[in-house]
Amino acid sequence: MTDTHQAPRRPLWWRALALVTLVLFLVGAYLALVVSPPDVNQGQLIRMMYAHVSVAWVCFVAVLVTAAYGMLFLLRGNGIDDARAVANAEVAIFFAGLTLVSGMTYSKPTLNTYWTWDAKLTLTALMFALLVGYFVVRGLIDDPTRRGRVSAVVSMIVAASLPFNYLAAAWFRTLHPTLSVAVTGVHVAPTMLFVLVFNAGVAALIYLTFVSERVRIGKLEMARHEERERRESGPGSKEVVRV
Amino acid sequence: MSDLAAVLAVARKDLLQEARGRAVTVATVFFSAVTLVMMAFAIGQDSQLLQRSAPGVLWVALAFAGVITAAQSFQSDLEEGAFDQLLLYPVPRASVFLGKLLANWLYLTALGLVMTPVTLVLYGAHAGAGAWLLPPTLALGSLGFALVATFYAALTANLRAREALLPVLMFPVVVPVLLGSVRASEAIVQLGNPSLAGGWLQLLSGFDLVYLVICTAIFHLVVEE
Repeated sequence: MTDTHQAPRRPLWWRALALVTLVLFLVGAYLALVVSPPDVNQGQLIRMMYAHVSVAWVCFVAVLVTAAYGMLFLLRGNGIDDARAVANAEVAIFFAGLTLVSGMTYSKPTLNTYWTWDAKLTLTALMFALLVGYFVVRGLIDDPTRRGRVSAVVSMIVAASLPFNYLAAAWFRTLHPTLSVAVTGVHVAPTMLFVLVFNAGVAALIYLTFVSERVRIGKLEMARHEERERRESGPGSKEVVRV
Repeated sequence: MSDLAAVLAVARKDLLQEARGRAVTVATVFFSAVTLVMMAFAIGQDSQLLQRSAPGVLWVALAFAGVITAAQSFQSDLEEGAFDQLLLYPVPRASVFLGKLLANWLYLTALGLVMTPVTLVLYGAHAGAGAWLLPPTLALGSLGFALVATFYAALTANLRAREALLPVLMFPVVVPVLLGSVRASEAIVQLGNPSLAGGWLQLLSGFDLVYLVICTAIFHLVVEE
């Protein structure tokens, strides 16, 4: 049976969003690489920080959103929530990978080591491992309802483990610079803060672009799965009856 | 039958089965002992290094034993189709989970109590004045391992490659338990300063409490109808 129909085109709003994201990404890169002054302590290396912090915060948001959609799937049983959860989990694992790579490249020249057993880095590595587990479990279950339910459960366990992992790693040992934008006051030069916030915003836009595209693909997957089930149960069973 | 009675009945069944068959006991006792010896060989001759590694090695051995215990507690039920019958009883699914958890926890704590003196002897470490704190540490740490292991063993019981999958899923979640138990044991045994263990024991208790609530609440979602 050949599938002749073309995949539907991406909606206009998504293409506009992707274009805006791309333009803003280039502006953000220009701000980080050219406009931002070098740091007093870290010199030019501070430019890494803009990328590192931006992807790091997105990956944690994406994990929490995954768990939230997982919970929603358990409550409503609608396959679209599972598709949204997966979209977030995929973006989360991608950004977690970026956080690890950028963190390691950033810490080699500043802290003189690729890997420190520091709280935030350890937490990110563990989160990466937890997300790998999430996808391994998904890959082993064929029934969509059961797959959605079990992966929702796993994502909730993952989200619950984050504070404990963070606390344990923080008490264990930490080399990581504390948050520069503390609640008590701002320690970063205004220009640098603006560049950081701008880039963090761009990272959030990239996240939205990726997730919405992945949700669209997830919907197509669901439609295809339903169509296949209809085809297998529909005409097939009728033939059996006729024979 | 009240829910509590159901929990106790499931735990009693699992423990009785183990007392008669001893499959897990043989596997885990020797497995833990072999792990202790292998790690001692790997660490080498340095007696100070051996002493320092003792708590870490003990808890890694217990973590592996926890995987075996939890996996087996579902496997032996599934093999004879007994698990489906267990689910047919008119009691909440959570009581099946809590029963199995209770059995696994008691078993793991007992294993820890046996393995602690063995580790102390093999690694030349001494339990000082704070030695009375070791059993509570073992109980709290084992509960953390047993919780996550039992929950994920139920989840993976029907999947392919479950033997490899269970540790992959479980270990990243129990990192705080491992860290807390090892640091607490270290404070008690090596540093002889049990007051340092306090914070870690609190972390363990918090972990156990949160996961006890979450796992009990969502266990019914992972067992197959």
